[in-house]
Amino acid sequence: MFDVPDDRQYLESHEWASDDDPVRVGISDFAQDELGDVVYVELPEVGDEVTAGEEFGVVESIKAVSDLYSPVSGEVVAVNDDLADAPELVNEDPYGDGWMLEVDADDPGAFDGLLSAEEYRAQIE
Amino acid sequence: MTDYDQARWSREDDPVYESLLAEKRSTTVEVEGGPLPDDLTRESVTLPDPAEPELARHYTRLSEMNYGVESGPYPLGSCTMKYNPAFSEDVAADPNGLVHPDRPDDTIQGILELAYGLQRDLARIGGMDAVTLQPPAGAAGEFTGISIAQAYHEARGEDRSEVIVPASAHGTNFASAVMAGYDVVELPSADDGRLDLDALEAAVGDETAALMLTNPNTLGLFEREVTAAADLVHDAGGLLYYDGANLNALLGRARPGDMGFDVMHYNVHKTFGTPHGGGGPGAGPVGVVDDLAPYLPTPHVRETESGTYETYEPERSIGKVHGFAGNWLVLVKTYAYVARLGEEGLRDASAKAVLNANYLAEQIDFEVPYRPFHHEFAATAGDRDAADVAKRMLDYGVHPPTTKWPELVPEAMLTEPTEIESRETLDDLARAFNAAAADSDEELEAAPTRTAARRIDQASAARNPRLSWQALDDE
Amino acid sequence: MTGSPYAPHTEAETRAMLDAVGVDDEEALFDIPDAVAFDGDLDIPARDERAVREEMAATLERNDDVVEFLGRGHHDHYVPAAVEDLAGRSEFLTSYTQYQPEVTQGFLQALFEYQSMLVELTGLSVANCSMYDAATALGEAALLADRVRDADGDRVLVPEHLQSGRRATLERYVAGADLAVEAYPMDDGCADLDALESAVGEDVVMIYAENPTVRGVIEERPAAVGDLAHDADALFCLGSDPVALALLREPAAVGADVVVGEADALGLPVSYGTGLGLFACREAYLRQIPGRLVGASTDAADRRAFTLTLQTREQHIRKERATSNICTNQAWVALRTAMHVAALGPDGLVELAERCVREAAGLAERLDAVSGIEAPVHDRHHFREFVLGSDRPAPALADDLLAEGFAVHAIDEHRLQACVTETNADRVEDLVAAVEVVA
Repeated sequence: MFDVPDDRQYLESHEWASDDDPVRVGISDFAQDELGDVVYVELPEVGDEVTAGEEFGVVESIKAVSDLYSPVSGEVVAVNDDLADAPELVNEDPYGDGWMLEVDADDPGAFDGLLSAEEYRAQIE
Repeated sequence: MTDYDQARWSREDDPVYESLLAEKRSTTVEVEGGPLPDDLTRESVTLPDPAEPELARHYTRLSEMNYGVESGPYPLGSCTMKYNPAFSEDVAADPNGLVHPDRPDDTIQGILELAYGLQRDLARIGGMDAVTLQPPAGAAGEFTGISIAQAYHEARGEDRSEVIVPASAHGTNFASAVMAGYDVVELPSADDGRLDLDALEAAVGDETAALMLTNPNTLGLFEREVTAAADLVHDAGGLLYYDGANLNALLGRARPGDMGFDVMHYNVHKTFGTPHGGGGPGAGPVGVVDDLAPYLPTPHVRETESGTYETYEPERSIGKVHGFAGNWLVLVKTYAYVARLGEEGLRDASAKAVLNANYLAEQIDFEVPYRPFHHEFAATAGDRDAADVAKRMLDYGVHPPTTKWPELVPEAMLTEPTEIESRETLDDLARAFNAAAADSDEELEAAPTRTAARRIDQASAARNPRLSWQALDDE
Repeated sequence: MTGSPYAPHTEAETRAMLDAVGVDDEEALFDIPDAVAFDGDLDIPARDERAVREEMAATLERNDDVVEFLGRGHHDHYVPAAVEDLAGRSEFLTSYTQYQPEVTQGFLQALFEYQSMLVELTGLSVANCSMYDAATALGEAALLADRVRDADGDRVLVPEHLQSGRRATLERYVAGADLAVEAYPMDDGCADLDALESAVGEDVVMIYAENPTVRGVIEERPAAVGDLAHDADALFCLGSDPVALALLREPAAVGADVVVGEADALGLPVSYGTGLGLFACREAYLRQIPGRLVGASTDAADRRAFTLTLQTREQHIRKERATSNICTNQAWVALRTAMHVAALGPDGLVELAERCVREAAGLAERLDAVSGIEAPVHDRHHFREFVLGSDRPAPALADDLLAEGFAVHAIDEHRLQACVTETNADRVEDLVAAVEVVA
């Protein structure tokens, strides 16, 4: 069974957004399992703008490539540099050390594509 | 059951299977006092320096850690791994044919005659009016054909932006359309695995430049509604493109030109038995109907009134898709294969390919959900992992089928034995499938164990790419 | 015998197999609607092996037997017999792309070695294991430049002296990306740096130069071209070949970001334009490089093993977002080229390269002594070939030389080009004698 922590919100496309400020973004346990061994994550740079519902990067495994969609709009204030040398963190700890971005969100939680943990859990079943 | 054991010379605690040339013997040569001033030359070159006997042994050992059609069954779906006639190598090596491409036409009548003959034979086989031999691979043929369609539309003042591609299509179809500047509209399959005409009708419109189809499709199923699809696309002003990867199923029994296709490519390294060479070279000649002939790449070969041959630039040529005339050495082998088999041989090859696929499917313990298939079928590994089953099949001395594609079939094993297998070798191949099916999960995950190398760590290869011996040295 | 000579079925076997499948005859297995079934004739007769060989040999004999002094992008060097022999082993020749690396370590290692040789020769970090030819490699380089460059741009600058097939193929490749190809002038056979500087702007994605050029001229200041490219944030792409690379300054040392070229100057004899696209680039572009890459890894027995890697760039995974549509490439030709480089060794390779300079200079001197001929036209150093001027119209002179049994290029009204390597150096005297007659 896949881990779906209650302390954050989710997108249908398997990204999560934390409740903090700045908002942390990553992908779910279900997503990392689907992908297989992550080999590379393409992320924006600090200072870039991201838009809710739009692509902000790409995650690659050996056999698949997936676009990453942002759950919030705002400015990127931090990027997880550890993923460059250790992309496997996304597989090992998708909700913790495998985080991808921190965003200074214009209006966190405003995007109506966000799912609660319960809704997301129902979706992946 | 075959007791397969691939050659290997490493000892128990050797860290490598075979040393690299650079590890065996490498020399640095200083570049000095040569005919050029120092500021134009490099300082030194460091490269392997084996004596010829060492060179021979190195590559012979490498060849023994490899597997070709002549080693054993190679049922890779979509690849048509058929036997490559030995004599075609000799023809390609004929010194009279080893000439420079800039020779004037009247001094290379032999080459031009062969080129013209091959253009003509391929046109007949495909039901096309004109054929170019220039594209150096199937994907290059797709790019060429879609570019021809584009030029055709542009010449008529039409600005169309979309190419429709079935979801089950080969990845090159998508990539080729995008390279030509188009947006791709992906078409889902119908429940029976074939083209969904309703979905097509909804997708087709003023923006449609072309629909790309493979027939039989990548599940081996004949697209029964192909002429209806052709009508839909033509009525909307679009063109119909045929991906020739599965032509081996149709030779002499059906021609893309008769189904309404306007443009097609042939994969000569599949259907026409030229060697795959570990990944190439192949060739992807493109056939077109008369209306599209003016757009063919330049130069094209034609016969003159006096019965000689000449090259010319088609009046609205899309230009070039290769620096010269394409993979000529491969085209010579194609000509040889077609001449050897003739129409009868081609027709029979197709029949035996379809018979072999059907017979093999009967013998294996895996389900084949989509039927009736022709020269290839997509079996499903069911609750096993298709990739693991494939690795275990290697231990039984066969090359496994294509795995995990098309995505329509879960844990797909796309299998194409081709016409060259006898009943006995098909039974052996089936035994390999079935033995793997019966093996435990542990045995599958530990596989392969009888090949030169064991299961290779793909993740670390991608996470930490080391793509040269220099990169290994740097560690 | 009728039917395919390579299908082994006896009648009895066919019968038994049809029974096992549950049909009466082969035709019953086909699901082809009558409306599209073909029951005509293809008019292609079958011939036996001897007949096909004889027929094709007789046809090829209709090619004229001339001594070629031709180059301009397709060159002839002697390929050692060992290369033919070893590359022709069926385990190499009849194998497929290495999607099952555990059973195809041999070819993977050979391709890894090929990549490494190009890394040494170009000085760049990454080389793929082939593109179709120099022209398509050039097209791919322009598309890569367009992808990686941050700023917008739509121009690709190429030298005026460029083999027409390379120019035309590049134009076809970049059409889909809405890029335009523009030529910059040459200054006595080398890039005209002043004119190039004027032509460069923010909207240039790539500057291409060749060393040696299509006319055999060795670029005097390739690094200056590189500087101009980088000042405009454009990529610098250099075209060359493995023999020239063994002697001339490494592309990396002159600032090249990408190197393309015809790698089968070694590995294949002259073969009516069959090519091998060399493609190498800087590490920074690793995830954007087109084509297949072989990498080193370890296997379950803890030994070094090779595998195709970074496949997520390619069409079978990324489909319409792939770096290229390339699938089948020139792998077997790359194998031959690697074997040839190994057979020569660095000594042999450098010697061959130096010979290419000496022979060209020597032939030019001999021809220059012929009345009505000026050679070389460009007051530069040359590699294998050079342009010569003629008082007589060049096309007519070239025709007359053909009648004498020698082929050279006529490149415009009063200019020809001749290429000499170790394969035709022994006919230089005869060529000069013929030129003396027809000049």
